[in-house]
Amino acid sequence: MADPRDPIVRLDGISKRFGKTTALHELHLSIAPGEFVTFLGPSGCGKSTTLRLLGGFEKTDSGRILLEGKDVTALPPNKRNVNMVFQDYAIFPHMTVAQNMAFGLELKGLDRAAIDRRLNEIMSFLELEPFAGRYASQLSGGQRQRVALARALAPDPALLLLDEPLGALDAKLRGQVQIELKAIQRQTHKTFFFVTHDQDEALTMSDRIVVMNAGRVEQDGTPEELYFRPATRFVAEFIGETNLIDGTVRGIDRDRSEVVMDWRGIELRGQAPAGVPAAGQDVTASLRLERLSFHEGRPDTPNAVRGRIVNRTFLGSRMAVDLQVEDVSGARLRAFTDHDTTSRVGDAPVWIGWDSASLAVLTS
Amino acid sequence: MTRNSRVFLSIVFWAFVVYLFVPLALMILMGFKDSKFIGFPIQSWTLDWYLGVFEDTDVIGTFFYSLAIAVASTAISVVMGTWLAVLLTGRRFLGRGAVYALMILPALVPGIISAIAFRIYARQLGIEPGMGAIIWAHAVHNVPFVTLVVMARLSTQPKSYAEAARDLGADPLVTFVRVTLPYLKPAIIGASVFCLLLSFDDFVRSFFLGSYQPTLPVLIFSKLRSGMSPEINAISTIALVLTAVLGIWAERSSRRMNKEN
Amino acid sequence: MIDHAAQAKTGSDVAAADDPQGRPTFWGRVTGNRAYRALVAVLFASPRRQFLILAAFPLVWVVTQHLGPMLQMLNVSLLESYPLSAGEEASLTFEHYRKFTADGGLFLKPFFRTLTFGVVLTFATLLITYPVAYFLARHVKRENQLSLLLLLLIPFWTGEIVRTYAIMILLGNNGAVNLALQWLGLVERPIPFMYTGFSVSVGLIYLTALYMLLPLYSALEKLPRSYSEAAADLGAGTWTRFRRITLPLTLEGIGSGCTLVFLISIGYYGTPVLLGGPNTTVFAETIAGFFHTAGDEWPTGAAFAVIMFFTALAMAGIFTRLIAMLRKGDSR
Repeated sequence: MADPRDPIVRLDGISKRFGKTTALHELHLSIAPGEFVTFLGPSGCGKSTTLRLLGGFEKTDSGRILLEGKDVTALPPNKRNVNMVFQDYAIFPHMTVAQNMAFGLELKGLDRAAIDRRLNEIMSFLELEPFAGRYASQLSGGQRQRVALARALAPDPALLLLDEPLGALDAKLRGQVQIELKAIQRQTHKTFFFVTHDQDEALTMSDRIVVMNAGRVEQDGTPEELYFRPATRFVAEFIGETNLIDGTVRGIDRDRSEVVMDWRGIELRGQAPAGVPAAGQDVTASLRLERLSFHEGRPDTPNAVRGRIVNRTFLGSRMAVDLQVEDVSGARLRAFTDHDTTSRVGDAPVWIGWDSASLAVLTS
Repeated sequence: MTRNSRVFLSIVFWAFVVYLFVPLALMILMGFKDSKFIGFPIQSWTLDWYLGVFEDTDVIGTFFYSLAIAVASTAISVVMGTWLAVLLTGRRFLGRGAVYALMILPALVPGIISAIAFRIYARQLGIEPGMGAIIWAHAVHNVPFVTLVVMARLSTQPKSYAEAARDLGADPLVTFVRVTLPYLKPAIIGASVFCLLLSFDDFVRSFFLGSYQPTLPVLIFSKLRSGMSPEINAISTIALVLTAVLGIWAERSSRRMNKEN
Repeated sequence: MIDHAAQAKTGSDVAAADDPQGRPTFWGRVTGNRAYRALVAVLFASPRRQFLILAAFPLVWVVTQHLGPMLQMLNVSLLESYPLSAGEEASLTFEHYRKFTADGGLFLKPFFRTLTFGVVLTFATLLITYPVAYFLARHVKRENQLSLLLLLLIPFWTGEIVRTYAIMILLGNNGAVNLALQWLGLVERPIPFMYTGFSVSVGLIYLTALYMLLPLYSALEKLPRSYSEAAADLGAGTWTRFRRITLPLTLEGIGSGCTLVFLISIGYYGTPVLLGGPNTTVFAETIAGFFHTAGDEWPTGAAFAVIMFFTALAMAGIFTRLIAMLRKGDSR
């Protein structure tokens, strides 16, 4: 048995090309046991390729894949201690739910009694007992998803791969299944490798998110890090809605570890979690919409500007407003606020403030 | 669509149905005529011709001879046809187009040419005319029909089924037997019945590759050459009913299985 | 939602499930078997090996069994004498091909008759079955279409000879058609339908109609009705809609149906023998004539078969090209 602190998966500079396009460029990554890791990105970013390489469905062009410390790079899928929940679930149509779940256990060489024990355990855990004798065609989308999960969990893999398994579900069910899936992961202490293009899904469930773009890792961190301290413009734009502020670095305030930047003549103070820029450099900073606060007098936050609301969008639980900064043409900000604040402010000028931690200076 | 064209089309359709069924219906009727002379009108009826067929050991023997040929050739066609379908639906390879063309060739060669090509080939290989030669010719001729039907089914199978099986620990062989083959079942049953019918009904290949023992169509042909007789009607009707029942059964069961998946 | 009491066990019991104690299930025993493992290791050592194992036998099969007979036919057609006597060297000649035009066109007549029959009958079959397929695909409720199609299939499961015999009964001097005509008072004496080009035609169309009907039906069935509806909306009448929309979009089905029917209808042997007379001899009968002997005339028969095969192939090829050109023209 390996040291529990050793990574369960290590990707050692794996690359993959399909014809002329590079699907994956020298990916290095370690996954700790029990982690819920999500690969997030637009289609064609390399997230699915990584998943298929881990499952053994594609061969790497270069690099190594280590699973529980063993090199599995050249092993076919049936010799890897990894199981997958497929996007379309791939529940064998000619087998019942129970037969589907027993498939992997039979091939492991378990005897009938052990298989039945394991099936009962998994079925009661996932509340699938009433469906044991049914076929995939007799199940709802949510039930199929659960059967696919149960089938993949049954052989007790070291790593569970999930290929956009919620994509086929309707929006309402998806939210519920997200919570359920996270709970299942916690209770089984399994390592989950989840692939999605849906940022909400990634933020809700993951311990760690790897944002991919064009075959490379853009950022690797917790959901909070990615959301509030994005490293790149791509991450800032891909996850949630944000203000992108283009400016020039005036200097670095070493005492408070802040970047002082110039935005159309306004001095702003931000933080650079991913790398400190040099003075005079052109930079972009990200400012989340909900980090802006509204004040009647000038607030004592490091950043404060005066502006007017020029456009309002009603979003139900909140309002999105567009603000024009006073006396600086073209300087616009977008913010979330509540309904009362918007109607109280009206068309009158208002102070807007935010702290330096909310303004993340991006590396690219 | 205007009313006129609709009426016209339905008349053509039902006239076509009549064209298909009336000759067969007349042939069946004539088998019950109590006279050796084929032709209308029919004055009195009898079952004697049928009773005669069931007592005729030659006809019964020929029937089982044809059946044995059909079953044996179908077994070969189904194995080879499915194998080719798996090869042609799988990953792309150099020369796949050529393999596809060769696969379909036996179905496109006009009957007489196919029959004499097999006759020549058999002789060149030293295969004597007879049961083995007919089985072989039928098997080769029917392979493309199996391949086309199985390929159509195989192309509807999501790639993830086989991947899921591999993922759960199955090697390629177990994956094929436990996942792909069951998925192909309706296509294979349909293709098998089609092959059985093609072989059982085939005349031209059986005629050129047969020895003294005829198959059922060859027997009917030679009896017809020496004159029409209600006995032939009785034999033909029995063959017709059997093939129709088998065909309808296959069609219904494969439709049902397709629905289930 | 998830039952918490049940989950708690899951983590710890997982390890216990891992060591098999009893006899594995059937598939566990198969895949656990040492000989099987060795076999699989050899068969699937690499994707390349796996492909070779999959491809080798079918490749040998199509080359030797599908192509082989055709190549041997070509070979025999070039042999000077056949069968070769023991120890005789095979010498090649085109002599047998020359016989095709010899004897004052004795063989050319049935040859061109066959091709003409093939073309005319193909066209006739198309004219007959297109409205049938159209009716089935457009005017029948979807849930009834398959049942009606099944009804049309039944006669086609019956063999060539049985169906030919049915046509003989229909068209004979004492057949149903003549009986009906006489009863209606249209003719006094039976019309001799049998052993003429007419009886052969009726028989061949009867045999091949399905091969036209099925591709036409599937082409029409795939065609969205909205195309015709859109054309009607733009003011096109019934005939214009058919000529400008439906017909061009079903050209592919027409092409494959015609090719199939042509290739099949020229290959019939039994039917023309039974339904035809001395004036309707088709080339299949000519070819067959050379094979009734022990063997010395086989090369001539083979040469004639080769000529017929390549002519048919060329005609089918030209026709397919023509259809392709028409389709392109329409997509402008």
